[in-house]
Amino acid sequence: MKFSVTKEKLLEGLQQVQNVVSTRTTLPILSNVLLQAKGDEVHLTTTDLDVGVRGSFEARVEKEGATTLPARRLFTIIRELPSSEIQIEVDGKNAASIRSGQSFFKILGLPEEEFPPLPKFEDAKVITIRQKDLRDGLRKTSYAISTDETRYVLNGVLFSLKENKLTLVATDGRRLAMVDLELEFPRSHEADIIVPTKAVTELQRLLADEGDVKVSIGSSQIAFDLNNTLLVSKLIEGNYPNYRQVIPSETKERVTLERETFLNSLHRVSLLASEKSNSIKLNFSKNNIDITANTPEVGEAKESLAVAYKGREFSIAFNPEFFMAPLRNLTEDEVFLDLIDEMSPGVLKIQSPFLYVLMPMRISS
Amino acid sequence: MDCFYAAIEVRDRPALRGKPVGVGGARDRRGVLTTCTYEARAFGVRSAMPTFMALQRCPQLIVVPTRFDVYRRESGVIREIMRRFTALVEPLSLDEAYLDVTAHPGAPAPLAQVIRDLIFRKTRLTASAGIGPNKLVAKIASDLRKPNGQFEVKPGEVAEFMAPLPVRKIWGIGAVTERKMERLGISTCGELRRFSRAEVQEQFGKFGHELYDLCRGVDERQVEPHRERKSLSNEETFSINLETLEQCEGKLEEIFTELAAELAQKAAARKVTGIFVKLKFADFTRTTVERAGLEVSLDSFHALLTEAFARTGKSVRLMGVGVRFAESMPAEAQLPLL
Repeated sequence: MKFSVTKEKLLEGLQQVQNVVSTRTTLPILSNVLLQAKGDEVHLTTTDLDVGVRGSFEARVEKEGATTLPARRLFTIIRELPSSEIQIEVDGKNAASIRSGQSFFKILGLPEEEFPPLPKFEDAKVITIRQKDLRDGLRKTSYAISTDETRYVLNGVLFSLKENKLTLVATDGRRLAMVDLELEFPRSHEADIIVPTKAVTELQRLLADEGDVKVSIGSSQIAFDLNNTLLVSKLIEGNYPNYRQVIPSETKERVTLERETFLNSLHRVSLLASEKSNSIKLNFSKNNIDITANTPEVGEAKESLAVAYKGREFSIAFNPEFFMAPLRNLTEDEVFLDLIDEMSPGVLKIQSPFLYVLMPMRISS
Repeated sequence: MDCFYAAIEVRDRPALRGKPVGVGGARDRRGVLTTCTYEARAFGVRSAMPTFMALQRCPQLIVVPTRFDVYRRESGVIREIMRRFTALVEPLSLDEAYLDVTAHPGAPAPLAQVIRDLIFRKTRLTASAGIGPNKLVAKIASDLRKPNGQFEVKPGEVAEFMAPLPVRKIWGIGAVTERKMERLGISTCGELRRFSRAEVQEQFGKFGHELYDLCRGVDERQVEPHRERKSLSNEETFSINLETLEQCEGKLEEIFTELAAELAQKAAARKVTGIFVKLKFADFTRTTVERAGLEVSLDSFHALLTEAFARTGKSVRLMGVGVRFAESMPAEAQLPLL
């Protein structure tokens, strides 16, 4: 195999696939990137057996062929090369000679046959989504994914396909974020699948403003085809909890909030939330919310927000981080906060189909 | 679970059935066993034993590498089963958990049997259970009918149950306290009970206050379903000892990079309060340097490594780096949604 390429194109290609490479593995080949030179393209593939990515870059291929090279090492070398023109030549023993300007590197690879192939998707259900819609949907939900490995079904985003709607859900058992996307697909494609965190993170990096993504759903795998790049992932096996039951069906009090103003106030007040309890209190009174925090023996903070509020006076406490996460990831100017009482979940909504359910914290005093 | 990792390996590779099997690192890499089968235990092989030592005791021992992704998956399946019966499940490790079933209408012993049956049906792995009025008693009881059994201590039987037990069975009592007790003529929980609360406290300080209750089987700790990870670390035992600081530095980056990756994956949202570097030397002595307030960076760990290495200058057998987390949220204050 022999090809020449610009440093920029090669780096861009490697950047798309290198995050998937596992840092800790018993199989050395999984630290490698598969390079396949054919026609005027070089394909790059990485996998950790759970998630795999395949991309490509244009190159002047002088001799077709394939090999695998240590991904991180290759990336570090290419990044440091002085000249913009790079030539890579691989011999029959998978030793790659990298030439650029006055630099020469030789790195040892492993045969392509040892590289595990990405799964095939022959009987998969295929749906098409606008990349922008999926990216926005994941942005509005993925921060709520659980990192608790003992609740493995929550370590991903639920993709629920029902009645011409794709519902994305993420929760860690204390708060839940959900987005509905209108989508047309046949009845036979209805399904509930859980896409693991790593695939969601990679997907968010790959999704763009323009174009569609073709999603192929197999029985235990999923593939996202984004024109030039393909991301495949295992699905999380198991049943996602019945999230509908935690969404309050009634509401007592609604306030409209300016998202950024509210976020900034929360952030400032949270500076004095105690490390131990980590809570801030919202105290509602006529046309006003006082946001307060205090840490014994340290100090306290208070900020008042003028709002249109006519309901009863009451206080409710939240983990500030859980409250700020959705506010940071939304773009709307206005958000609506629906509350029932100090022990029931609060719901954050916007004009479009999104909601965030957040359980309060118990107020001790 | 009964020898959890080893049981999974035997289940997945039937050829191993009935044989002494250990799970862990290979001998030539100075590995350590995480678990072993009962067949291996018959030879005196134990978990956390260096592999070479295990092979001395049991030359026919089959050592297989760990597959933590598989263990985690099985652990998740088991916990899902437990959560069908109570939301109050507190995992202690991948293969051990406390369940508070006070609110469950059924009697606890048949319930334990049902849970163990379900676990076996779903995973083909056996579990043992201890049933008691509190965590301490349940934990001690869980060891009594291993493997694949269960033992119940009813509330009225606690005093009688605890009396003959060696004090070592109480959590928090290690070799040092045990020796001190021996000098006082105490070897069982029953003997410890002869002392008044004030006397126990005088002998054993703050811990004595708890000891007075614990030896009577009194334990007020709640089952906490959302207990958080307190630290995260990564370490490596080297196949060839590192002799110089430069050699250690060479390895540090690799060990740190892995830690950083794990940190990003598992605990990106957690606040780090301190970082530490641990060294174990060729003569098996060890030292740890820990600092609060440093950022999690290669430079910070490098400074700690330099300090740790300078303490002895002995050749290094194992190097570990890690971070400690702030308590982000007491479980009792955040109400659960799901």
